[in-house]
Amino acid sequence: MSSAFRIAVEEWRQWLRSRLAVLSLIVLSVLLLFTTTLTMLDAQDARHERLHQQEQAEETFLNQPDRHPHRMVHYGHYVFRAPPPLAMFDPGVDAVTGQSLFLEGHRQNSAMFADARAEARTGGFGALTPAKLYYLFLPLLIIALGHGVILREREARTLGPLLSQGVTGGRLYRGKLLALGALIGLLSLPALFSSFAASLAGESLLAGLTLYAGTLLYLGIWAALTLFVSLAARSRGLALGVLSAFWVITVLVVPRIGVTSASATLPTEGKILTDMRMNDDLRKLGDGHNAADPAFAILKANLLAQYDVDSVDELPVNFRGMVASKSETDLTETLNAYAEKRMERESAQAAHLSAYGWLSPYLAIGGASRNLAGTDLETHHRFLREAEATRFDFVQGLNKAHIEKLSYEDDMNRNNGEEGWKKARVDASNWSVLNDFRFTPDTAANRLNRATPKLLALILWFMALIGLGLAAARRLTP
Amino acid sequence: MMRELKFMFRDKAVWVWLSLAFVFSIAAVSLGINEVSQQCAEIAELQQLDQIERKAALSGQSEWGGAAYYTFHLTYDPPSDFAFAAMGQRDVSPWKHRIRMLALEGQIYETDANNPDFALIGRFDFAFIASLIAPLLVILLLFDLRSGEQVAGRLRLIEASAGDAKKLWRTRAGLRIGALAIVLCLPVIIGGVISGAGIMTLLFCILAVCLYLGFWTMLTLWLTPATRTGAYNLTIMLGIWLLLCAVLPATLTQAISRAVSLPDGGEIVLTQREAVNDAWDIPKEETYAAFLKRHPEWVDYTGWDTADGFEWKWYYAFQHVGDQTAEPLSKAYREGQARRDELAKWSSLISPATLMQRTMERLAGTDMRAAITYEQSVRDFHANLRAWHYPKMFKADDFNSDWAIGAVPTFDPSTETGAESDLSN
Repeated sequence: MSSAFRIAVEEWRQWLRSRLAVLSLIVLSVLLLFTTTLTMLDAQDARHERLHQQEQAEETFLNQPDRHPHRMVHYGHYVFRAPPPLAMFDPGVDAVTGQSLFLEGHRQNSAMFADARAEARTGGFGALTPAKLYYLFLPLLIIALGHGVILREREARTLGPLLSQGVTGGRLYRGKLLALGALIGLLSLPALFSSFAASLAGESLLAGLTLYAGTLLYLGIWAALTLFVSLAARSRGLALGVLSAFWVITVLVVPRIGVTSASATLPTEGKILTDMRMNDDLRKLGDGHNAADPAFAILKANLLAQYDVDSVDELPVNFRGMVASKSETDLTETLNAYAEKRMERESAQAAHLSAYGWLSPYLAIGGASRNLAGTDLETHHRFLREAEATRFDFVQGLNKAHIEKLSYEDDMNRNNGEEGWKKARVDASNWSVLNDFRFTPDTAANRLNRATPKLLALILWFMALIGLGLAAARRLTP
Repeated sequence: MMRELKFMFRDKAVWVWLSLAFVFSIAAVSLGINEVSQQCAEIAELQQLDQIERKAALSGQSEWGGAAYYTFHLTYDPPSDFAFAAMGQRDVSPWKHRIRMLALEGQIYETDANNPDFALIGRFDFAFIASLIAPLLVILLLFDLRSGEQVAGRLRLIEASAGDAKKLWRTRAGLRIGALAIVLCLPVIIGGVISGAGIMTLLFCILAVCLYLGFWTMLTLWLTPATRTGAYNLTIMLGIWLLLCAVLPATLTQAISRAVSLPDGGEIVLTQREAVNDAWDIPKEETYAAFLKRHPEWVDYTGWDTADGFEWKWYYAFQHVGDQTAEPLSKAYREGQARRDELAKWSSLISPATLMQRTMERLAGTDMRAAITYEQSVRDFHANLRAWHYPKMFKADDFNSDWAIGAVPTFDPSTETGAESDLSN
C-alpha cells in the first residue's frame, strides 16, 4: 500500500468520524439521487409528449378536407422540439425558450409557452437539475470537507511528525488529492448513471462520457483549489473565507456580470422593434394576397411574354398562385435576413459570455455541458432554422398546388356565391407536401467541437491549480 | 460601543465582506437603472415607429375591414420607478405586444424573448443581492464571531469583562450587520432618488432588507455556538443557506406546479386556430349565432349578400368566435397562473428567500400579478378596439383614411389598468 493511499484512507476515516461530514454527504447524495430521477422522468415525459404532439399535428394537417390551397397556408402547422436524451442531466435552455413553434404563411413566429413563464415565482435559483447541483452546489461540499485536509494536520500538530517521518509534501498532496478524488468519484455516480441512461435512450456514449468527464474535471478544479488553499492558508477561518469568496464570485457573481456585460456591449433589440423595422422593407415587396399590387407588375409582364399571351386569364398557370409563390420567396428572404442577423447577434453575445469562462470555471462547465447535452443556444437556433425550412417548403408546396391545380378562373370566382366558393378548391391529397419534422441533436462530434474551448479552459484551470498546489506542497513546513 | 466599532474595523475580513457587499450593490443598482432606461428608450422608439406604421397601413386602405386587418396597435407596460431593483417577471413574461383586431388568443402568447442563455443564468439585480447573496454575507460576517475568540483563547476573558455576555455578542453582531445593511441599502436609496421612486417604496425596501438580515443574524447566532469550531459552524450555515435559498424555493415551485396543473398552452392556440379555420367552411348562420350570444346588439346587421362569399364583418365575427371557443382553456390557463401565484404567496411564509424575492418584486411592480394585470389590460384594449370598429363594419360606414389615422384607439398604459374603460367614439 503506497503512502499516498494510506493518507487518503486516513482522511476518509476522519471524515466518517465527523457526524457533520457524514450528514452533509448523505443529504447531498439524497438530493442528487432525487433530482437525477425526477429530471430523468420529466425529460422522458416531455420527450414522449412532444413526439406524440408532433405526430398528431402532422395527422391533423393531412386530414384537412379539400380546400383552397391558400387557406392551408394560413391554417399552418406546429413543430415541436423533443428534448435530447442528455436533457435528463442538463435541460439547458429548454425551460426558457418554449418548445413548440407555429408555422404559417408570411410570418416567422417565435416559440411560445416557455415553462418559466407560468411557473410560480418563489425566488432562489429556479428548478433543481443534476447539472445545477453539480456545478452550483457541490463545490460547497468540497470546500466544507476539503478546506481542512492539511490545516487539520497543522492545527492538530500532526503535520510536523508526518513530514519528519519521511512523508514528503508531494506525497501528502497526492494522498489528500486522492481522498478528495474518491469523494468526487462517489458523488459523481448519479452523473455517470445519467450518461448511461441517456446512451440507452439513443445518445452517443461519447457525448455522455465527455459530459461526465467534464463534470469530474470541474469538481477536480474545486478539489485542487481547496487543497491549495488548505496548504497555503495559516488558519481554517482564513481558508474558508477565501474559498467562500471565490465561490460567491465565480459561481454567483461573474456569470451574471458576464450576462449583463454581454447584453450591454452587444445589445439586441426586441422582436417587435425588429418586426417594425422589417415591415418597412416588407411593404416594398408588395402584398402577396393582392395580385394587382404594382410590385408584381414585372412578374406579370414576364409571364405574359413567356407564354406569349395578352392577359393573365389566358395563362396556363394560375397567376394568383404565381404571385403568392413569388411574394413568399421574396418575403422569406427578408425574414431570414433579419432572423439570421438576430441569431448572429445572440451567438456573438454567447461568445462574449463564454470568454468569461476563463474567469469562472462555473461558466465554462455550464456552457460546455449545454453544448454536449444538445440543450444550448446553437441547438435552439438550428431548431429555428429547420422549422423555418419546413415552413417554407410546405407553404411553397401549397403555392405550387395553387399554381398548377387551381384554375385562375375558379380562383377569381371564389367569392362568387356558394357555387364559386366550392369550386375554388384543390384535392386534400395535395396536403402531403408537408414533410415530417423530427428534431434530432447534432452529431456528438459537432457538439464536442463546440464544447472544446470551454473544456480547454477547464483543463487549464485544473493544471494551473495542481501546479500551484504541488509547488506549495513541496515547500510545506509544519 | 465606540470601542466595539473600532474592534470591528480592525478585522480585515469585515472590511473585505463589507466592501464586496458595497460593490455588488452599486453594480446591481447601476445595471438595473441602465436596463430600465433601455426599456424606456425601446418603448419610446416603438411608439414612434407605431405612428409611422399606422399612417402607412391606413393610408392605402379603402374600407374599415382592411384597415383593421392591416393596423397593428402597440401595447406596453412601462417599468415602474423602482423596477431597477428587481426585474422579476419582466424577464420572462412579455411587457410589450403588437396586436390587431384578429382573434386575440393567437397573438397574446407571443413572447419577445431575450437571449435564452441569459435568462438561464439570471440577472444581477438588487433583488438577487438582497435575497440570495446578503444571507451569505451575514453568515460570513458572523460565523466566526464567537468561535474565533474561543480559538484565540480570549472568549472567557471577553465574556467575563463585559458583564452581560449575551448583550456583548448582540452588540458585536448588530454593528456588523448594521454596517452591512447600510452598504447594501445606500446604493438603492441613491438609485431610488435618481429614478424618482416613492419614499414609501424605499422605506419598505429598507425595512424588508433589515428584517431579512435580522432573521439571518438570529439564525446564525443561534446555530453557531462558541463550543464548536468556526469551520463546523460555517459548514452548518452554508448547508442551511443551501436549503433555504435553493432547495426550498425549487421544491416549492415543483410542488406548486404539480398541485396546480395548467392546460397545455399550445392547446389554447390550436383550439382557436381550428375554430377560426373551420368558420370558412361552416354556414354563416352558425358563426353569427355564436357571435350574437356575446353581441346581441348587432342582430339586425348580420344579413349577407349571397353573391359575395366574403364580408369583413363576418370575418371579424368568426375571429371573435375563435376567441370565444378558446376562452374556457385560456381562462383556465390564466386562473392557474393566478392560483400558482397565490400559492407561492402563502408558501413564502415558510420560505424566507421567497418572501424577500416576492417583496422586492411586489415593490418594483414586476411580480406575476403585474404581468397578469398587463395581459388583462391588453385584453381590455382589444375589446375596446372591437367595440370601436364594429359599428363601422356592421353599419358599413365610409372609410376616410385621414380621419382614421387620428381617430383609431391608442393604448394608454395609464388608463388601461386591467379594468374595462370606455373608449367609445
